[in-house]
Amino acid sequence: MPPADARRETRPPRASERLRRLLSVVPYVIQHQGAELSELSSVFGVSESDLAQDLDLLFVSGLPPYGPGDLIEVRVEDGRVWIDMADYFDRPLRLTRNEALALYLRATELAATPGLPEADSVRSALGKLERALGPGELGALSGHVEASEEGEAAGALETLRDAVARRERVEIEYYAASSTETSVRTIDPEELFSALGHWYVVAWDDRSDSERMFRVDRVRRAKATGERFEPRGLLGAGRPLYSASEEDRTVRLALRPAARWVAEYYRADVEGERDGEVIVSLPARRLEWLVRLVLRLGSDARVLEPPELDEAVRSLAGKLLERYGGSAPNAS
Amino acid sequence: MQALERLVNLVALLLNASTPVSFEQIREALPAYEQGDLTTAKRMFERDKDALRDIGIPIELQATDVWEVEEGYVIPKDRYYLPEIDFTPEEVSALFVAALAPGEEDAAGTAVRKLIAGVDASALGALSARPVALGPDRGGERIGAIARAIQDERAVEFRYRDAAGGVSDREIEPFGLLARSGQWYVVGNDRGRGDMRAFRISRVEGDVADAGEGAAPPEGFSAAEHVTAGPWQEDEDATAVVALSPDVAWWASPSGGAVRADGWTEAGIEVRNRDTFVDWVLSLGPDAEVLAPAALREAVAERLRSVLAAR
Repeated sequence: MPPADARRETRPPRASERLRRLLSVVPYVIQHQGAELSELSSVFGVSESDLAQDLDLLFVSGLPPYGPGDLIEVRVEDGRVWIDMADYFDRPLRLTRNEALALYLRATELAATPGLPEADSVRSALGKLERALGPGELGALSGHVEASEEGEAAGALETLRDAVARRERVEIEYYAASSTETSVRTIDPEELFSALGHWYVVAWDDRSDSERMFRVDRVRRAKATGERFEPRGLLGAGRPLYSASEEDRTVRLALRPAARWVAEYYRADVEGERDGEVIVSLPARRLEWLVRLVLRLGSDARVLEPPELDEAVRSLAGKLLERYGGSAPNAS
Repeated sequence: MQALERLVNLVALLLNASTPVSFEQIREALPAYEQGDLTTAKRMFERDKDALRDIGIPIELQATDVWEVEEGYVIPKDRYYLPEIDFTPEEVSALFVAALAPGEEDAAGTAVRKLIAGVDASALGALSARPVALGPDRGGERIGAIARAIQDERAVEFRYRDAAGGVSDREIEPFGLLARSGQWYVVGNDRGRGDMRAFRISRVEGDVADAGEGAAPPEGFSAAEHVTAGPWQEDEDATAVVALSPDVAWWASPSGGAVRADGWTEAGIEVRNRDTFVDWVLSLGPDAEVLAPAALREAVAERLRSVLAAR
């Protein structure tokens, strides 16, 4: 237990955090004399006033005996920074093991995300990191984390990415798998995220006057409107890929092992297992996409609820079979 | 005197020292430790030392002379300084985008900020405004635990739910991690099954626990070779002609095809596995029809008949 007088002191973790930051900012400024405070603030993720405070302290630090020739020289003028007499801080501190690991995994994940223009650069950067970092940082992990990119790049990705950054309203032509219809809508895109190999944009949808998620590869065309919007703080990455609504109906399916992936992919609630089938329920606003899903699952899925879903599957299967020149087997 | 100033001075002193510096010498040199009695000063110094180690500053205790009578502190330069890495601005930008994906400010962000000293970062500020989020973060902790196990050649154990829903406890020697299409996989020697296996991290239930000493990966190991793209086999090698409605043609066949007078597109689709192909066609419902070859038309019809027969 530290004594009372020590506890009163405003010391770590605050001070060590600030030191950690300073030991990255200082080498940068030494190598880029006259760097702008505003730029430092955005790159190092710290407010200009906090940064100014830290630099003020640096100004009275240095080497013993702390005379005029021993102290670090910091000059802040017209929003720009110069640092002298701190050659020993001209290079940053090594990465800790945790930092190296976190960056390495994040960057690998980015390299495995389809359609990002940064993917090639991140791969070559990872290679350089592996070669430069020692056994203390990446250790045996080096070379044993791989990224493999699969899936189609989405044409509208960059337009939407810019729109998210600029908070700009966009007009999109969109194919909705849920209703199997194409529509033109105006959306306020708030966040772009990748999940399960696809890109999604979370947006406020003008047409339905509600929050919607759009799969970017189903956006046929995206056009910035030049209009800005105020973000509503919609929930982005990590959210469920389906957002529940009051119009939802409950769909219950019995899945054989070959169709078990449906439970996982759509994050359905698993009610239990019976005779080798797993019983799942999932909410659905529209049934169109489910008709196609069940059709595709063939004999690996049975519809328990609602009966009209089963009826729709039967009717679509019959209609399609006619196209293929067959007729439905006699109902038994 | 503020704590930050004291810490900066301490780092500067030890980084510049040519020989180890004893606590008494530190106390003489640094006015901050002269206040109060020796015990208080020593305690303050111990806490400072811990704070520095917490952020990764390597402070070592070494003998001050060959007789090892006295000991002192030093920060070895080769363990302190980040080695020069010659990144291009594009590489640094890409690392920035990766590290700063939305979420809490974390270790990846701290890491990337150490890497930019030599690069003109004037373009980086704008990047933090072009955010992308990389996947749902479920499993982040489990991925970290497995990565650390690979680093240290440790074995791990976890509960795993396979694709068919079966749950079992696994003990593996992890050899490598693979990120593919928004999913993480770990590949390693499954001790219970005595064979190389791939596991999808999102199917790991609960925590990943240490299971003692592990093993080094075999020569030339590559995780990607052990993670198949799907559970299917290549059993077909054909090009099917599929008619696609205007609603779906542009995304279902990005490479295009011949547009008919009725607006539908006739696209050539490579088929490697018959069942997967039929799955795909049926998932498009009335928006797709297989025109050729006859065998694949029949495969679709067969599946439709089985759907009807079951109802």
